[in-house]
Amino acid sequence: MVKEIERVGIPVVHMCTITPISLTVGANRIIPTIAIPHPLGNPTLTKEDEYSLRYKLVDAAIKAFSVEVDKQTVFEV
Amino acid sequence: MKLELGFIQIKDIQFSNECAVKDGILYVNADDVKAFVYENDDVKAYIESIELDIAKPGESVRITPVKDVIEPRVKVEGPGGIFPGVVSKVDTVGSGKTHVLKGMAVVTAGKIVGFQEGIIDMTGTGAQYTPFSKTLNLVLVVKPVAGTKQHDYERAVRFAGLRAATFIGELGRNLVPDETKTYETYGVIEGYNKLPGLPRVGYLHMLQTQGLLHDTYVYGVDAKRIVATLLNPTETMDGAILSGNCVSACDKNTTYHHLNNPVVAELFEQHGKTINYVCNIITNENVYLADKQRGSDWAAKLTKLLDLDAVIVSEEGFGNPDADLIMNCVKNEKQGIKTVLITDEYAGQDGKSQSLADSDPLADAVVSGGNANMVIVLPPMDKVIGTLDFVDVIAGGHAGSLRPDGSIEAELQVITGATNEMGFNCMSAR
Repeated sequence: MVKEIERVGIPVVHMCTITPISLTVGANRIIPTIAIPHPLGNPTLTKEDEYSLRYKLVDAAIKAFSVEVDKQTVFEV
Repeated sequence: MKLELGFIQIKDIQFSNECAVKDGILYVNADDVKAFVYENDDVKAYIESIELDIAKPGESVRITPVKDVIEPRVKVEGPGGIFPGVVSKVDTVGSGKTHVLKGMAVVTAGKIVGFQEGIIDMTGTGAQYTPFSKTLNLVLVVKPVAGTKQHDYERAVRFAGLRAATFIGELGRNLVPDETKTYETYGVIEGYNKLPGLPRVGYLHMLQTQGLLHDTYVYGVDAKRIVATLLNPTETMDGAILSGNCVSACDKNTTYHHLNNPVVAELFEQHGKTINYVCNIITNENVYLADKQRGSDWAAKLTKLLDLDAVIVSEEGFGNPDADLIMNCVKNEKQGIKTVLITDEYAGQDGKSQSLADSDPLADAVVSGGNANMVIVLPPMDKVIGTLDFVDVIAGGHAGSLRPDGSIEAELQVITGATNEMGFNCMSAR
């Protein structure tokens, strides 16, 4: 899906846990996330801490759009 | 470590008022089995009832939803007992002598735990795809107490199956086996001196440990909490590893598979002839990237420390564990240790999609257990052990999988053991 959307000219940030798979399938902007059952959350945290974790991840993803990349890039969050 | 297996061939199973094995016939008193199974707090708390049934090869019988399949065994000499840390006390197993009731299995079935339990057909198309159509099956149909939570139910069913198999296995303690076979691996220096010049080969055994009812236990330890470690191959024959999985039926390793691991069997076949079979390395398949990196790092560290020349790597399950598989391959290949991978494929119903979620050019020796997405049609059966209520919702099924006449159209995924990634089944690996 990442590749097909980019093929029509829309940039994609792929947020995923297993970044090696994302690299294999050809995503260009990759944000590492938490775990496979809960990529954008962490049930062990309090609601407030989880909210800030989610905010940080999404914020990093949006910022990644504005970064010029010349090769596949995994952004450290 | 050296273990002798004594095989007692079971030719038939019959219900009776006693429990015994006589002339190869297993006589089962269902009440005695149930009484032993119920001597467990979890079974007592969460299992309302257990019904026993028998399914024989060739009968028009469908068993579903299947949770685990277990081979009855009993330790007759040497330390420890079967299923150490779970049914028996913790003690290192894998040496001495063990009796095996061959040709039969204990199967647990009944109301679904998760959504990835399987089907065993004893005849017809489905029977061709599961090895358990060829075993005499003593089936436990388990009914949970109303309101029991999934994880409690899974644990109770797991213990029920293991305890039933232990009880049946005990009936073989004082019998004279029809056949015996000895398995032995050596210490590192001893093996090097005894088998000079032979390639040093290990088995990197990946265990399904994604949690959420996808778990495997080693000496009673939840394997998602282990780091890669070593096992004597014979330990697996005494039940050191067991399944707590409700993962896709086709490629989960049941406890029966762990006890009869074909990779272990084939490596022993070649041990001392073409290779020096050094040991097994177990590692897990966790859901955090850091765990995957750590697990594969440690596995590669151990293979190097043992100066292995080659490793066979078997996967369990599919999807993100493909990433673990590729990491285990790449990290070993990069340090000069040859790898052969055993996996299966999810290549779409037409077989044209990418087979694995991850890949690498270094993975150039791969054995496939088959395409789990292949569509099959199973004819109706005269008798169902368990229930057909969940056929549409198990992994590989779809709305309408169960047709009004009792036939089933579904992906091969639904069949227990169909694309086993130890190469146990016969689709392509054997």
